[in-house]
Amino acid sequence: MSKPVSITINGQIFEEDVPLRLLLVDFIRDVAGLTGTHVACTWEGRCGACTVLLNGEAVKSCMLLAVQADGENVTTVEGLAADGQLHALQEAFRDRNAIQCGFCTSGVLMTAVDLLAENPEPTDGEIRRGLVGNLCRCTGYVHIAEAVAAAARAMRAAPRP
Amino acid sequence: MYPAVIQEYLTPTTVDEALDALRRRPRETRVIAGGMSLMQLMKARQAEPACLVDLRKVASLREIRIDGAGVRIGAMVRYKELAADARLHGAYGGLGDAARTIGDRQVRNRGTIGGNLCFNDSAADLPPVMLALDAQLEIARTGGPHRTMPAAQFLRNPREVDLGEDEILTAVLLPPAAPRSGSAYLKYGFTVDGPPVLGVAAAVRLGADGRCAAAALAVGGVLPRCRRAPQAERALVGHSARDQAALAAALETAAQEVDTHTDPWADGAYRKVLLRQLGGQAVAQAFGRAAGGA
Amino acid sequence: MSTTETSAPWVGRSIPRKEDLRLLRGRGQYLADLALPGMLHLVFARSAQAHARLQAVDGARARAMRGVVAVVTGEDIRREIQPLPIKVVQPNLTAKYPTFWPLAVGKVCFHGEPIAAVVATDKYVAEDAARAITARYDPLPVVTDVEAALQPSAPRLNEDWDDNVMFSVDFGEDVSALMAQADVVVRGRFRAHRVGVTPLETRGVLAQWAEPDGMTVWITNQRPHVERLALADVLGIPAQQMRVIAPRDQGGAFGTKAPFYREEILVCYLARKLGRPVRWVETREEHLMAVSQERDQIHDLELAARRDGRILAMRDRVLGDVGDAKEGVYWGYLMPFIGAALLPNGYDLPKLDVKLRCVVTNKSALSPARAFGSFPSRFAMDRAVDMLARRLGLETADVIRINLIKDLPHTTATGVYYDSGDYRRVLDTLLEKVDLPAFRREQDSARRQGRYVGIGFGTGTAFSGVASEVLVPVENQPGYGAATVRIDPRGKVFLAEGDAPHGQGHETVFAQVAADEFGIHPDDVVLSYGDTTTTPFGSGTIGARGASYTVSAVVEACRHLKAKMARILAHDLKLAGAGPEDFDFAGGEIVYRRDPTKRRGFAAHADRIVMGPLDLPAGDSGGLEHTAFFEAAKPMYGFSAHAAIVEVNPESGEFKVLRYVTMEDVGRAINPRMVESQVQGGVIQGLSNTIYEQFVYDAEGQQQSTSFLTYRMASAADVPTVEVYHADTPCPLTPLGTRGLGEGVPGPVPAALTNAVVDALTPFGFEFTTLPLRPERIWAALHGKAAGGAAEAPKVV
Repeated sequence: MSKPVSITINGQIFEEDVPLRLLLVDFIRDVAGLTGTHVACTWEGRCGACTVLLNGEAVKSCMLLAVQADGENVTTVEGLAADGQLHALQEAFRDRNAIQCGFCTSGVLMTAVDLLAENPEPTDGEIRRGLVGNLCRCTGYVHIAEAVAAAARAMRAAPRP
Repeated sequence: MYPAVIQEYLTPTTVDEALDALRRRPRETRVIAGGMSLMQLMKARQAEPACLVDLRKVASLREIRIDGAGVRIGAMVRYKELAADARLHGAYGGLGDAARTIGDRQVRNRGTIGGNLCFNDSAADLPPVMLALDAQLEIARTGGPHRTMPAAQFLRNPREVDLGEDEILTAVLLPPAAPRSGSAYLKYGFTVDGPPVLGVAAAVRLGADGRCAAAALAVGGVLPRCRRAPQAERALVGHSARDQAALAAALETAAQEVDTHTDPWADGAYRKVLLRQLGGQAVAQAFGRAAGGA
Repeated sequence: MSTTETSAPWVGRSIPRKEDLRLLRGRGQYLADLALPGMLHLVFARSAQAHARLQAVDGARARAMRGVVAVVTGEDIRREIQPLPIKVVQPNLTAKYPTFWPLAVGKVCFHGEPIAAVVATDKYVAEDAARAITARYDPLPVVTDVEAALQPSAPRLNEDWDDNVMFSVDFGEDVSALMAQADVVVRGRFRAHRVGVTPLETRGVLAQWAEPDGMTVWITNQRPHVERLALADVLGIPAQQMRVIAPRDQGGAFGTKAPFYREEILVCYLARKLGRPVRWVETREEHLMAVSQERDQIHDLELAARRDGRILAMRDRVLGDVGDAKEGVYWGYLMPFIGAALLPNGYDLPKLDVKLRCVVTNKSALSPARAFGSFPSRFAMDRAVDMLARRLGLETADVIRINLIKDLPHTTATGVYYDSGDYRRVLDTLLEKVDLPAFRREQDSARRQGRYVGIGFGTGTAFSGVASEVLVPVENQPGYGAATVRIDPRGKVFLAEGDAPHGQGHETVFAQVAADEFGIHPDDVVLSYGDTTTTPFGSGTIGARGASYTVSAVVEACRHLKAKMARILAHDLKLAGAGPEDFDFAGGEIVYRRDPTKRRGFAAHADRIVMGPLDLPAGDSGGLEHTAFFEAAKPMYGFSAHAAIVEVNPESGEFKVLRYVTMEDVGRAINPRMVESQVQGGVIQGLSNTIYEQFVYDAEGQQQSTSFLTYRMASAADVPTVEVYHADTPCPLTPLGTRGLGEGVPGPVPAALTNAVVDALTPFGFEFTTLPLRPERIWAALHGKAAGGAAEAPKVV
């Protein structure tokens, strides 16, 4: 019925006895207290607002049980900035006005990290295809796609250590 | 929103351990792979397994081997890996096509070939590819040798497969690539990369004269189950990629022989339109790949 | 510092948003992020039937579950909570208002109506318990078609009504004679499907009752001040004990968070009854079933015109399917009502005959969506204009132009006052951008190659805020914008507004405005909103009020304080006869124009007035705070024109948007890049609505679109980019010349897209009047197969 799990989130280990059915997103939000990852659909796992990195790969945290991430590494939006400095994607999103209500933003950022890790020089079409799993209602995706492209250029120019 | 209470969660490290795990709570146990389909069911409370057997630690299920004997893809291989494997081109191109267009990035990072096939949704991408590539499926069970069966036999009606409660799908086997062969997969998902309203997998083998010596045409997104279109396949034989009229006629034959249904995404007549269009494009791409194109 | 920009003016600059600094880091404060000690979780059980007598609701199994604190049904609460309607959320318009409680009493009228609520210590357990609730229904015949609902034999939702017509209104006069005399009459039955603008964040409520302060409730809501009054009235709580807080961050609304709903009433009631905080976070499934369904109108529209395209008369019979209409403030029908009033759009149509009937059916009540009821009317009117142009062999753009209102202000024959603007200029500027003659040449050449491209236009007058003149009669609420400005002794400025933004970036925009007024940096300006205890009364973030009304209130409050500071400085510096107009507020200082050596720092002067209020001029007291209420004499409207260029594949009906261009007249953009993003977002919403999204009910009233798999929203890969341009025509009624923008953006989209597809398929003689605009329907219409898409003949109703 429940089991102790240990999940490293943004470099910090969280250990808790959790019900087997606890969703990973609820572990992140309610156990680790990191509410930047959002829930916006029911059982369908379509909206992408809950996207985090699991061992560096973008996944929808509402579609995993916490026990499936036991012993693994999770990165959430709170873990993107390093030493107080915003990630190039965060800078670009702000610079290009890619946020309105912000509810999709954390999920979009995490998917974009995954996308750029695999494809550092994506075209607009590749960016948009890469963001299929992240619904946004406010922006119409235009500034988002521009921001990801701008971040990609910045990251190529000044790679992070 | 939330799954029902789960009593046990097991993470075996070998296939044998996994088979043992299945026997602990008969009829109350589900295998979970990537979870992209099962979690939907569990969260909608359409499945309430008391016991989950998670295969994520069974390393032997994650291997892809390609050699003269053909292709062996472990059941836990993810779409992401299939999409990126450069060896899945030419004869196996359709598999790469499907893997690249399932769902979205996040789904492709989790979803597995085994999970997709065992779930066998009527709007799924891999089943028609399996039919077109003459795939065999390898199944393990306790206390006996593996059995192998054609995908066409494994994939029954929607959400139904020939897999016993005490069995696990372990691998997908594809025959060795014949020379001058190519395959492709295309779909109409209503929205980009959506579940196929209609999907067509085409495989073609050319003779030395550049004409089609054998063809496979499989259609997904139809009821009662995804299927081949044998009359259309026969109609393709003997033609080259340049025989536009013959190819179109073959697709017209496919549209006639495959029953199409009406649902909120398309009516039966429009599904036939899609079949002709997507089928024509998939066949053309298969020809191209068979001739040595990408 | 939030921005690296350092110099004024700030208005007109695309500075980065202040809000982003927290949102990017995942530090937004949305409803679901809020928790209180001892908080309980509430889950609703909802009706499985579309229309039935509710015989019994059995919560026994649920109550027995460990962790369940309470289970309540309609019978439990009907004597404890006032039913609606209540005056504060009831329009001053004659209509039949159905009585309802937060949980179904006696019968259920739509699939998804709340029938019970469970409160438990854990949200997973609460769902387990809600699923364990059983109900016994005695099914009644279901009506899901608006025309069927009008038949005398139709099942009646409200047994005390003699039919299902909730609201009727007629505009104009009999135009039969004009129609008979016209050179040409075009007719069509135009249908806009049931679709809405679901925000990414669903609704939520967190309520806490504590003696003696009373109720504090956080609600995802666009109108906290109105919500507060309604909750106080319905729950019998003295108004001074009622505090509503809209969270600092809300994940979009687009109208869905403006009504007064069942759910917040029940959550507050239970928080008080149980003596513990109670939180409800709506699931997507609930959201799709219960709210965000709008449009759903049939227009039997006729245009009578002269041979040159000038429209002489318009006649429209409109049917609005308002669902069960049980919703405070809007009651389902206000949207079709405003939509009918806005039918004339930007056209000069003195002669019209419009009759609207709003009919209840076994569906969820319509809740407002962006474009507020006018998405169907824009589609109907602009498609009809396009049909007219085609019938006459004229360019649609020319027919639009010849009919556009030339002189403003203008009052439409439906009584809508358009205050200012230059509609022809907007259209002409758009036409320059798309270079219509060049496109026609390309189109010809493409056709010869067997490719079918087309261009289509859509137009829309849209709210730029809504004045009391409209809101009082229509919604029983005021329309003024309200803002409080307070300057502290360090020269920092604190603003408070009565509205509740949910993505519009008010913290940034208002800071830009105040910074320019006072000659300081936007970083030194802080905005708060959402809390009814600490903000001035405002009617809410609706109808594009922000840049029109509320910003103007900010400006007026700032100018009041500037005048005071100027008076006191003139007095201090002994500048006899100097008035506020003699001082510049710039660069952090207040400078006397005629002798710039006479100056004082803004912060120092604020300190002097607030902390050291000695020797002030006669009539002035210390302190620097002022609240202003801004109301233009008349409601304000903006106008926009859109053009879509598409390529269509006639074999499959698939089409691709090659280019989408918008021309707005926002007047003066405070933050241009934010305006651009708002327009892009609105267009893409309109596109996704037009093509992909649809709320579907089967013949038994069972909802078929209850997840994002079945209610399909466009992703980034499904949509084009959107070009946004401005034909600047400042608004004469606001202090900065700004108009509000955002509300109406999706309105012109369905006509622009459909007209473009029709234009592309001109050689095929193709017509299309029933949304959604989907490849399958286009193909069916092209090939003469029945089913949706083909132009329907109008029915006389």
